[in-house]
Amino acid sequence: MRGVIGLFRELDSTCDAITLLKKSKLGEFTVYTPTPRHEIEHAIDAGPSAVRMFTLVGGLAGVTFGYWIAIWISDYWPIVVGGKAIATWIPYTIFGFEVMVLIGALATVAGLFATARFPRITHTIGYDNRFSHGDYGVWIEPSPDRMQEAEQLLRDAGAVEVRIER
Amino acid sequence: MAITTRPATDVELLRRPNIPSANVRLPAVKDYEQVDDEIIGTLHPTAQWFIGLGVAILFLLIGASAWTYQIYSGLGVAGYNPPVMWGVYIITFVFWVGIGHAGTLISAILYLFRAGFRTTIYRCAEAMTVFAVMTAGLFPILHLGRPWKFFWLIPYPNWRYIWPQMKSPLVWDVFAILTYLTVSATFLYIGLVPDIAVLRDRETNPIRKRLFAQLALGWRNTDREWRHFVRAYLFLAAFSTPLVLSVHSVVSFDFAMSDVPGWHTTVFPPYFVAGAIYSGIGMVFTIIIPLRKWFNLKHYVTINDLDAAAKLALFTSLVVGVAYMMEWFVAWYSGSPAEKQFFANRLWGQWWWASALLYTCNMVLPLSLFSQYCRRNTTWLWILSIFINIGMWFERFVIVVPSLSHEYEPWQWAGYRPTWVDYAILCGSFGWFAMWFLLFIKQFPSIAITEIKEIVKPRLKHRHAMGVDSTGLPLPFMPDTPGEFD
Repeated sequence: MRGVIGLFRELDSTCDAITLLKKSKLGEFTVYTPTPRHEIEHAIDAGPSAVRMFTLVGGLAGVTFGYWIAIWISDYWPIVVGGKAIATWIPYTIFGFEVMVLIGALATVAGLFATARFPRITHTIGYDNRFSHGDYGVWIEPSPDRMQEAEQLLRDAGAVEVRIER
Repeated sequence: MAITTRPATDVELLRRPNIPSANVRLPAVKDYEQVDDEIIGTLHPTAQWFIGLGVAILFLLIGASAWTYQIYSGLGVAGYNPPVMWGVYIITFVFWVGIGHAGTLISAILYLFRAGFRTTIYRCAEAMTVFAVMTAGLFPILHLGRPWKFFWLIPYPNWRYIWPQMKSPLVWDVFAILTYLTVSATFLYIGLVPDIAVLRDRETNPIRKRLFAQLALGWRNTDREWRHFVRAYLFLAAFSTPLVLSVHSVVSFDFAMSDVPGWHTTVFPPYFVAGAIYSGIGMVFTIIIPLRKWFNLKHYVTINDLDAAAKLALFTSLVVGVAYMMEWFVAWYSGSPAEKQFFANRLWGQWWWASALLYTCNMVLPLSLFSQYCRRNTTWLWILSIFINIGMWFERFVIVVPSLSHEYEPWQWAGYRPTWVDYAILCGSFGWFAMWFLLFIKQFPSIAITEIKEIVKPRLKHRHAMGVDSTGLPLPFMPDTPGEFD
């Protein structure tokens, strides 16, 4: 994988680069930012996160399992307590709720890992330690014949450092 | 992540001087580099930190020795005297669970409510939650005669294939506490990942760098990671929010499901939740106020943030006060002689001093927070927080001990006197909590680096058509209180 990385000092320059990149259709790009910024989010204009589906499925699975485990245990060893039914849904709502929260939260984390593609064992090329500090970065993977064009585009947008990496 | 809203105009600021709002202003924090330098700078161990850690470990060892002695000699050494079979351990269990609640309130509920002042204090509060719940979780185990069989409460059959009784509030407790601990720890760790990545990229020691690299899970600050991270964080906050309400409600069921006088009341769940948040905010003050001084972070955790948190403490103290009065009213209105007699005993009986202490600490002293001067006086806030901690421990004492020692039949009435084992284990719990907290604040940032960066004005080349400049807060460095950042 070969690409161009541009390092930016300013937020608005980074947004300019993103806008230009989208217009030029040079290829897939990744933006590095030390903190989430609405300006970058709006410039990229990506769709909604799919994490919500993991959360929903996890929560529904959890509430189902929570009720089921309480009812199953009660039926497995049926003891009448306080003249109540063997499986009573009102107190078992506590299990339904707690397990919903537990599985839902863990599913959300699993969804984060799946959609954001981490944990990663190694850094991919293009990453620079300065991106967690205060600088912004834009990584593009253009076709080999448009490498120079990508490099020039990043410089025009205000990149203070541009380099080709592989 | 931090919430930035439209900054107040000069006219608005003039009309409402020194009033904390959702707008977070850190005028003394200029740029991202300063944030990294100052917050990471707090991670270097100092002599005072080693002394603090040593004292915490000493307390822990005292508690551990007492527990070892108790395991060897039996639970009788803990001062139980029938019918008072719940004592310091259950009181301290409820106390520590309660402490945890403010952390989740600050980190999750205030996040959903867009309360900006949470940004600077939530990391400490969240860590406090995890360590407080870890501490609380020890006490039901300590309270078991055979602590090595604690796992019988987990839905896992013993060798006779008997499962736990799912209608028992103690089993509800196990589910609630384990869920709370797991979700709180997950919330803390996921929020820490971008900050650990900052540490990884700045670390020069190869061993620590490798360790941080593992813990950062390969985080790279890409737009894709942030997009999903922010959404996942929101959902975790949304899951944690009802947990604040549910966990202490479930803890209150341990009492309210019985027919013991003073316990069998429907006011217990909201009463416990409000008390938990109140006590937790007290502990946040106990921790944050010295921390901002020792770490020289007064320009991050500003007086405005403490003022807003003090208002929250005042509000919850008022809720708790109403709950105390409701208990009295219900005892009178119920017409039950046992209830009436019990509450009279609570006020004038052998535990009158504990009741007086709790009402003073939890109802009277917090009224001082109506004064803005008191809310913005860190010395008073810290002293008050100690009173809050004491008052809330004694609130649980008054719930547990007088009820059990003064039930329906006069021949059952008894006294209760904690032994040195109880006190030693109580000390040990503070040592255990302090040890984890002290270790945490020297390994990980006690203020969220990436969230602070969100409210610091980003570097800009020029005024941008997309309006990025307007999100910055171009206020001059102007402390609200003279000498605030000294």
